[in-house]
Amino acid sequence: MLESPTHSDDDLLRLISAGNEPAFLAFYRRHQGTVYRFALHMSGQTDIAEEVTQDVFMVVMRSAKQYDAGRASITAYLCGVARNFVLRCLERERPYLTVLDDPENEHAEQLSMERNALDELTRHERIESLRKAVLALPPAYREVVVLCDLHELDYADAAGALDCAIGTIRSRLHRARALLLEKMRADERCPV
Amino acid sequence: MMTNEPELLQGLRALAAESPQEAPPRVEERLVAEMRRRSRARRRNFWLAGASGAVAAGLAVMVWMHPAAPTGFPEDAAFSELADGFYPLPDADALSPLETAMVVRVELPMSSLRLMGVPVNGASAAQLIQADVLLGQDGLARGVRFVQ
Repeated sequence: MLESPTHSDDDLLRLISAGNEPAFLAFYRRHQGTVYRFALHMSGQTDIAEEVTQDVFMVVMRSAKQYDAGRASITAYLCGVARNFVLRCLERERPYLTVLDDPENEHAEQLSMERNALDELTRHERIESLRKAVLALPPAYREVVVLCDLHELDYADAAGALDCAIGTIRSRLHRARALLLEKMRADERCPV
Repeated sequence: MMTNEPELLQGLRALAAESPQEAPPRVEERLVAEMRRRSRARRRNFWLAGASGAVAAGLAVMVWMHPAAPTGFPEDAAFSELADGFYPLPDADALSPLETAMVVRVELPMSSLRLMGVPVNGASAAQLIQADVLLGQDGLARGVRFVQ
């Protein structure tokens, strides 16, 4: 098996393009967690996260040569591919998701969460509340929060994954955090 | 409570830590199965390409060894045994009778048509044409059918 950390991603991708199964497994095991978590945080659904993870590594299997290390880190590349699949899935399931389309009118919206009384809130519930708040963000804001705050990618990598300017990442992240804070404050003022 | 940015970032870190870290094993199983299926297909294509090359090379040698053009299409019993428009190759009747067959598509020089008695001028002799080659159970070519 090729699980040694001495094998770089470039080495593994070269072997994968030649059909090397151990190299593919080593690469998959090294990066599947990142892709799966990204898809899960973006969609909030384990079945979509599974489907997207599988699709992303099918792309790696078919076209490992297409990765250009000069353009983006491998994490950014994989998250970029995953993002396209996630957005496709979300578009497909749009009628069933509660995503706020207009961030300016979000006070008119209430997250459909079941919560106990304020004095019964536990840490787990607060995190669950935050998870739902992240999922309720519009995708353009959600993806920067997921990449930069949950996956701790730097702005350059996030820009590589989303194929946009670093300034765009910075401004969207600022706005996304403001939206999350507003939502969390609103929830604490009037828990449902 | 989560009412300012440091608290929000702390909450997001906790959310990241509490999320599932791995895809379920069934995703890996499905991908490995697909990888193996692709490997099998790749090996099969490689073998077919090799077989086609070998057949083409064998035919080229046969063409080279029989430069004199026959006078016409053969009309003997061996010819009638070859179905679907295949013309028997020279000396094919010396091989064991056809029991099972495989057809391989190859590219041949136009000059190989001379074997069948078709006149080919010198200018077009080097051009390539597609042909189906009929292989017997022993892997030896019995006949050829020109596609173009």
